[in-house]
Amino acid sequence: MSIQSDLKSFLDVCGELFRFNSRFFTYGFKPPYEFSEFLKQCYVIGYKSLPLIGLTAFIMGIVLTMQLRPSMADYGVESQLPAIVAIAIVREVGPVITALIFAGKIGSSIGAELGSMKVTEQIDAMEVSGTNPFMYLVVTRVLACTFMLPILVMLGDAISLYGAYLGVNIHSNTSFNLFWSQVFDNLVFGDVLPAFIKSFFFGFAVGLIGSYKGYTSTKGTEGVGRSANSAVVVSSVMIFIIDLLAVQVTNIWGL
Amino acid sequence: MKKQLINNTKLGFFVLVGLLFLILLLYMIGRNRSLFGSNYLLKTRFENVNGLIPGNNVRYAGIQAGTVKKLEILNDTTVEVTMIIDTEMEQIIRKDAITAIGTDGLVGNKVVNIVPGNLNASIAKNGDLLKSKKPIDTEKILNTLSTTNNDVSIIVSGLKTTVERINNSSAIWDLLSDDQLPNDIKKSARNIQLATLKAAAISNEFQLILNELRNGNGSLGMLLNDTVLVSNLNKSSHNLNLVSLQLHTVVSDLQKDINSGKGPVNSLLKDTLMVKKLNTSLDNIQMGTDGFNQSMEALKHSFLLRGYFKRLEKEKAKKDTIPK
Repeated sequence: MSIQSDLKSFLDVCGELFRFNSRFFTYGFKPPYEFSEFLKQCYVIGYKSLPLIGLTAFIMGIVLTMQLRPSMADYGVESQLPAIVAIAIVREVGPVITALIFAGKIGSSIGAELGSMKVTEQIDAMEVSGTNPFMYLVVTRVLACTFMLPILVMLGDAISLYGAYLGVNIHSNTSFNLFWSQVFDNLVFGDVLPAFIKSFFFGFAVGLIGSYKGYTSTKGTEGVGRSANSAVVVSSVMIFIIDLLAVQVTNIWGL
Repeated sequence: MKKQLINNTKLGFFVLVGLLFLILLLYMIGRNRSLFGSNYLLKTRFENVNGLIPGNNVRYAGIQAGTVKKLEILNDTTVEVTMIIDTEMEQIIRKDAITAIGTDGLVGNKVVNIVPGNLNASIAKNGDLLKSKKPIDTEKILNTLSTTNNDVSIIVSGLKTTVERINNSSAIWDLLSDDQLPNDIKKSARNIQLATLKAAAISNEFQLILNELRNGNGSLGMLLNDTVLVSNLNKSSHNLNLVSLQLHTVVSDLQKDINSGKGPVNSLLKDTLMVKKLNTSLDNIQMGTDGFNQSMEALKHSFLLRGYFKRLEKEKAKKDTIPK
């Protein structure tokens, strides 16, 4: 394959993704709403991911604290450890790590689920039976991802900060009150709100790319695996790209 | 359907907890940034705000009192800082409080410190302008510190050599380890004390004497203070002068008389012939007395006078026995 055809297929995918996206925005907010399916997806996507996200966030909090401690101690600002860990977690580590885990768990499951539905022609059957498969399958999942990820990020932040509190207390003795007042003293709205807003985009990207990969999967069972795989890969990369854009935007706004 | 309901309940709980944490986070931050709760504004002006930014803390006597709301450049040398202050500080901050820009720790965020002013001043109201103090320039401090350090290093090297010398000299250590020395020093000190006491007594006496002198008591005092005496003395010295002049003339006359005159003194002193004559006369007198002596001896033995001499001897013998 030449570079030209590579480029052509890349642009092809980009175009199709964009069309899929505009289709979501065209149909997504028109009745009939699939509300109970949306809640079910929220439950599966959000609630069921919490243990995994919580565990990784907890470990991340402890590890980040312990990794930062030596250099902070070198500069003699060990007492500022809660502040720096809080800023790191709330601004960057919390949203990105949560989104990546989320992409690994939910992106792949959506890709595989929709892909297998596609290759077993369940989607076609659904269309015949009068249900709009795009509304029922894609819109509910994408919306569920979009709204659940920010909540997961918030809970992940909380658990991470608790992990950081334990991490700080491994070597020194900081009271819970002091830790939290240090955390809140050093956080500003400019730390919390951009992180919260960008996690909506992360969730949307994961849901949309997973659905797209599943919805457009071909070539039988082999295609299901491939769409699950590429859903994770592309959504992970997309998360970093969105993160890059987000940091540019927040810098421009001076947050 | 029942399962669906349970799942939805779980989901609702999950979402609520997540949103609660978000709200808590935002509320805590907002409270720290004085966005909630009542507050009022105070202003101050600085020449240089040293990197103060909106959102920095304002402290009154070290306690969090509010935050910096905005910075406004009024002209090329004045920056106006508007601060949001909590209402609970309204009864505390007075109009003459002084603001200063400091840092949170040595390298931390900038803070505005409000230092209490006079107790008599009235309470600062919304929008009042507080006085400011020039912020301390860290660079200046470091420069001063470096010169101080240089000085200290010179002093320390000097001290080091001094200490080495002291360590190397045995005399000082002998002096320090001598047990007798303190006693000696104590004794000397005591002696010095006694001496000074005596000196003090002496000087007191002296003082008394001087006082008496000044008052004209005592002979010396009289001498010093009596003006009549002085005039008398003057007179007598004048008389003395006259006497000495007369004496002088007498002496000179005498001298003249002796050297050139004819009186007996002159002849006595100058005439050698007379001296010889005198000498022979004296010889003759001696011869005469010798002859007289012989005659007297002869008389003692003559019978005419022997009785008289014997009686004299007897009386002499009686006188000698009586005291016995």
